[in-house]
Amino acid sequence: MTAPATTTPRGTAAMTATDDAPAISLTDVHKVFPASGGQSVAALERIGLDVRPGAFVSLLGPSGCGKSTLLRIIADLTAPTTGTVTVGGRSAREARLARDYGLVFQQAGLLDWRTVRRNVELPLQVGGVSRAERKAQAETMLDLVRLGDVADRFPWQLSGGMQQRVAIARALACRPQLLLMDEPLGALDEMTREYLQGELLRIWRDTGTTVVFVTHSVSEAVFLSTDIVIMSPRPGRITRRIEVGLPQPRTVEDRTSPAYFETVTEVRKALHAVMAEEPA
Amino acid sequence: MGSGIGAAALRTARAFLWTALVLLALAALWEGYKALGDATGGRIPGTGLDLPIAADDQAMPHIADIIGALTEPARRGTDTSLAVYLFNEATITFREALLGLAIGSAAGLLLAVGLRESRFASRGVMPWLIASQTVPLVAVAPMVVIWGGKAGMPSWVAVTVLSAYLAFFPVTVSVLRGLNSPQPVHRELMHALAAGRVRTLLLLRFPAALPFLFAGLRLAATASVVGAIVGELSAGTGGGIGRAILTSSYYYSSAPENLYAAVLVAAVTGIVLVQVLRVGESLSLRNRSTAG
Amino acid sequence: MSIAPPAPPARLRGALAAGAPALAVGAAVVLLWQLLVTATGVQSFILPSPTDIFGALLDELPTILRDARVTLAAVLLGMALGGVSGLLGALLLTRLGRISGPLLTVAVILNCAPVVALAPIANNWLGVTSIWSKACVAGLMVFFPVLVNTTRGLRDVDTLHLELMSALAARPRHTLLLVRLPRSLPFFFNGLRLGAAASVIGVIVSEYFGGPSQALGVYIANQAALSRFAETWAGVLAASVMGLALFAVVAGCESRLVPWQRHRHDGDT
Repeated sequence: MTAPATTTPRGTAAMTATDDAPAISLTDVHKVFPASGGQSVAALERIGLDVRPGAFVSLLGPSGCGKSTLLRIIADLTAPTTGTVTVGGRSAREARLARDYGLVFQQAGLLDWRTVRRNVELPLQVGGVSRAERKAQAETMLDLVRLGDVADRFPWQLSGGMQQRVAIARALACRPQLLLMDEPLGALDEMTREYLQGELLRIWRDTGTTVVFVTHSVSEAVFLSTDIVIMSPRPGRITRRIEVGLPQPRTVEDRTSPAYFETVTEVRKALHAVMAEEPA
Repeated sequence: MGSGIGAAALRTARAFLWTALVLLALAALWEGYKALGDATGGRIPGTGLDLPIAADDQAMPHIADIIGALTEPARRGTDTSLAVYLFNEATITFREALLGLAIGSAAGLLLAVGLRESRFASRGVMPWLIASQTVPLVAVAPMVVIWGGKAGMPSWVAVTVLSAYLAFFPVTVSVLRGLNSPQPVHRELMHALAAGRVRTLLLLRFPAALPFLFAGLRLAATASVVGAIVGELSAGTGGGIGRAILTSSYYYSSAPENLYAAVLVAAVTGIVLVQVLRVGESLSLRNRSTAG
Repeated sequence: MSIAPPAPPARLRGALAAGAPALAVGAAVVLLWQLLVTATGVQSFILPSPTDIFGALLDELPTILRDARVTLAAVLLGMALGGVSGLLGALLLTRLGRISGPLLTVAVILNCAPVVALAPIANNWLGVTSIWSKACVAGLMVFFPVLVNTTRGLRDVDTLHLELMSALAARPRHTLLLVRLPRSLPFFFNGLRLGAAASVIGVIVSEYFGGPSQALGVYIANQAALSRFAETWAGVLAASVMGLALFAVVAGCESRLVPWQRHRHDGDT
């Protein structure tokens, strides 16, 4: 995989020596949530996952399989009950404190009181980057998501799809090695969704970022990913890992290719196997 | 349902406990300030500057003296204690405020419906309603009392009118917001059921506005007590806690505790009225998941 | 997709159209009042006619303006005191963690006490003619709504935004400055707006209990005592205008500083 076009000083430090080391590595991760009545619910069980740098990995599974929880553990927003998590060669907490990853939620979560540009500047502002540099960087990122012309608008003046693109630009503002996305296109309509899938692939190619992408859409996972991780619910486990053999770069034509449909069928079967196991 | 009331009662009890704690802390602060003043001779420690508020017994009587004053006779030559006297005056104010609140809320409710149903009214009248609340009541009160007197009515009628004048506004604003609060999906449901304006109002908008009504009533209750006190202050005649505050402020130099006692009773009157309403609110809204 | 601000002429016309019904209603009321007074021949000490009041306002304008300036200074001082202390109080309250809820309840309860009753005490403490005794009463009337509203705003933060800040390894200072304070700004203004009109009334009441020789409240009280009712009403009118103007200034600052709030749905209190 190509190295990122530009790297922050921090990024270079993180990348030295361990270029072929996994971008993310989870070993025997368990997560137990306390439930009412003194009981507890096992949300994740025996999760082991390696993500190589530059990969686009989708976490796919029915609702309640803990895929969002898994993403939040990688992001250090939730602590695992047991197990180890490393991101870019350091602990998840260190990675968060170093702002090694960008995060996109299902809701854009933009700050109402800031213009689009100032929303993208937010991570840089928290990181103490100078005003001029912040502005230049935000504009670069807005150009990347093709929203340079609405930089001075406010979030509520934009459509849902545009807001989500701003959120992606914000996540990329610190030029992270890793992009964590929790159903980022889940709240959008089908047309916008397909358009943004294409955009996302382009951005991924342009930046060389590793992506972990939570979704429950089979077609979305197949079209976007290099690897699909299939999870089963209650407790959440990784049941299969499927490499997507479609050629890169992918285009709209790939959505109708036989290879695409074959992979979709394979993934769908794997998912059905997961659902069959569950005592409904 | 029962547990809802139980929880509400528990919440109220806890709120009172906390209020008592805060009042104790304030009392400690008061006495501490006085002690500081005594120790430094009324100056800020380390400087020659006077304390911003004199800490002597004239400006700040001891809490014990204020409480003690309540048990003393209200005036020379009478048997009634200050507490009884103030309680009686507070009852007058409470009655005026309660009546004013009732009249004001009824007027406020009607106004809200009118403003909601008529675009012209909401555009043409609303700004003047806002303006009406900026009229300094103290100044208008004597004239209202004169009007009442001309019509042969006792002064408490005028005071009640003034109290209602301050009380209607929060009710209007809150209820109007409440009447407009139903979501489009509910409005469309009523529309699909071919419900007219009156039915939509009765079946959808009024129930939706109920939590807002109580929120407005709470503000209105405070306002009605303020209206009653200000009315009494400037009425020139009649009774009430406002008169008691005015009288005791005339005799401040000889008996400062009396003024503090009167202000304390006035504060309690306002607080009690609002808390009474809160009980009514939690009873009426006990089946709602969340109160607005 | 986007809402461009209307061009100035259109906006002006829109404002005129919005204000027209209000002006019409106001004019109708004044006209009716005038007709009522002239038709029934009510004596002026009961109800002076609008023309009498307007005449008195013109005659007394220099005095009223001079006195209003003194009152306005106390009101502004009070609003500043109440606004700043309410804001600081809210920041302090949210830092107190678990006991901030109960303390807020206490503030709400204390807010039910009629603050105007404190006017004579403030006069005794800070001096009858001092601006501070008036500002103190006005300040208290602003303090409570600002405190209660701002605290609500500081706590009413989207959990998504908090997670975002946590993912960005933001310090509490950042979260406060970049998320909590901007989020609470509309709430702060809501409190300030409630306090604006009340603070004028507070100062006037306070002046009624005694104040400097030049003050609007004292002027009104004196004119009423002299049975010069047209002048009294002129003073009342001036005080109302002051309250309205302050309300408008606060609302204007709000729409300038909180532009995003105009686009929030109604019923979001």
